[in-house]
Amino acid sequence: MEINAEVRFYTVTEINRIIKTELEANPGFNNIWIKGEIYNLTYHSSGHIYFTLKDEGGVISAVFFRYANKNLKFRLEEGMSVLAYGGITVFEKRGSYQLNVLSVRPEGAGELQKRIEQLKKKLTDEGLFDPSRKRELPFLPSKIGIATSPTGAAVRDIIKVALRRFPNIEIVIAPAKVQGDDAAQSIVRAINELNRPELGIDLIIAGRGGGSFEDLYAFNEEIVVRAFAESPVPIISAVGHQIDHPLSDDAADIAAPTPSAAAELAIPEKKDLIDEIIYLHNRISKALSNSFSRDKTRLENIVSRKIFRDPYELVNYRDMMLNDAENRIALSMKHIISEKKERLLRVPDISSIEKRILSDLRHRFEMQVQAVHKLSPLAVMGRGYAIITDSENKIIKSVEKISDGDSLNIRLKDGRVSANVTSVIREK
Amino acid sequence: MEKQKKGDSKKTFETALSELEEIAEKLESGALGLDDSINEFEKGIKLARLCQEKLDEAERKIEILQKGENGSVSTKKVSVKNDTGEIEDDEELQGSLI
Repeated sequence: MEINAEVRFYTVTEINRIIKTELEANPGFNNIWIKGEIYNLTYHSSGHIYFTLKDEGGVISAVFFRYANKNLKFRLEEGMSVLAYGGITVFEKRGSYQLNVLSVRPEGAGELQKRIEQLKKKLTDEGLFDPSRKRELPFLPSKIGIATSPTGAAVRDIIKVALRRFPNIEIVIAPAKVQGDDAAQSIVRAINELNRPELGIDLIIAGRGGGSFEDLYAFNEEIVVRAFAESPVPIISAVGHQIDHPLSDDAADIAAPTPSAAAELAIPEKKDLIDEIIYLHNRISKALSNSFSRDKTRLENIVSRKIFRDPYELVNYRDMMLNDAENRIALSMKHIISEKKERLLRVPDISSIEKRILSDLRHRFEMQVQAVHKLSPLAVMGRGYAIITDSENKIIKSVEKISDGDSLNIRLKDGRVSANVTSVIREK
Repeated sequence: MEKQKKGDSKKTFETALSELEEIAEKLESGALGLDDSINEFEKGIKLARLCQEKLDEAERKIEILQKGENGSVSTKKVSVKNDTGEIEDDEELQGSLI
């Protein structure tokens, strides 16, 4: 066909530009997930990653720029099956299109994650993770069982920490395969073996060191999770690093962030325990010696009281009080009477003021009479004392003048008694 | 000797320690008479001694489970490096997985 000058044509640049605009504006080619296997993978020194996604029907180029791949948590590998997320862009210079990748997820990880979530729901519904199932760890375990790889970092970390905290500890290691095929069965067997009563183990640590999501997967397998939950001996889950939370963490009595941390949770520091014993020992010694000295002081206080030093003091003092009261009664009666008498004689016309003074005086007098009454022998007799007089009504103060057959009068608060003496006993 | 103190050795370290603490509190309260104080003190000294014995009771022993040819599992003593926690004679460990 001949070329006609009238024919409308595009330049290469023009058509590529149009295709680019059409394609990139089409929302159906943006924000899409593409599933494929990685081929021709290049980690470029610029930080960009180039690869081809392939499946049985064809290929598509992909570019994963540095700004987008800096958060990638794993390394892409040839042949790896992935889900790549991004949009289609056109590279005009080569007339080709490619996937501009914004993130990549290992294909299958999503499936695994889904499986874990389903299992978690099922076991939660069964009550396997109930807080009420958690047991307290023994305060001082006598023998610790470790279910892990005998050559991994976890067993070394646990042993190192355990020996540092409690140098004479007993440990039994159940060597287990912790990743790859059969790992789950191996871990379950190890936990079961450590539970054999004849071993006398009272605490188990089961776990492994850090690794990829897939490496730790065995600790999400149902049989392993159940073995943790059903272990008769209390068990600590010690898997990976702080960020890893396999289901064994939920099933164990305690989840430790790392294997070293598990050893610290499991085993007390021997030195601290010795310090505690010494501290309590000192406390009881001190308390005992305090209680000795307290009792001693108390005894000394009692013995040194006046009543024990000079028992007659008590009687003498009362005697003195009585004498004093007698004198006061006599004196004040005399005084009041004579004063009133004088006043009455001297002032025939008693003014109202004087009347008041007089009534005051009367009041005072009455008060004093009451005071006197309180101290009178009658009041004393009210407390059980008696006055004894002889036939001539003289008060008897001593047995000196009393002989058998004498008749005496005993005066009590409310009457008199006549009595005959049947015997006289002298004391002193 | 083990048999002699069987009654006591059944008591756990934790129980003995908390009993000792209770005794300390009782003595410190000053509520006890002299005879009781002395009795409690003697009990406390015995508990402190028991606690100490409990701590030293165990002998450092590190064992690994091994599967025999007939499938039976036995324990085997191993030695480890104190500083690294590494099992020293571990050449056959890989094969000994159970």
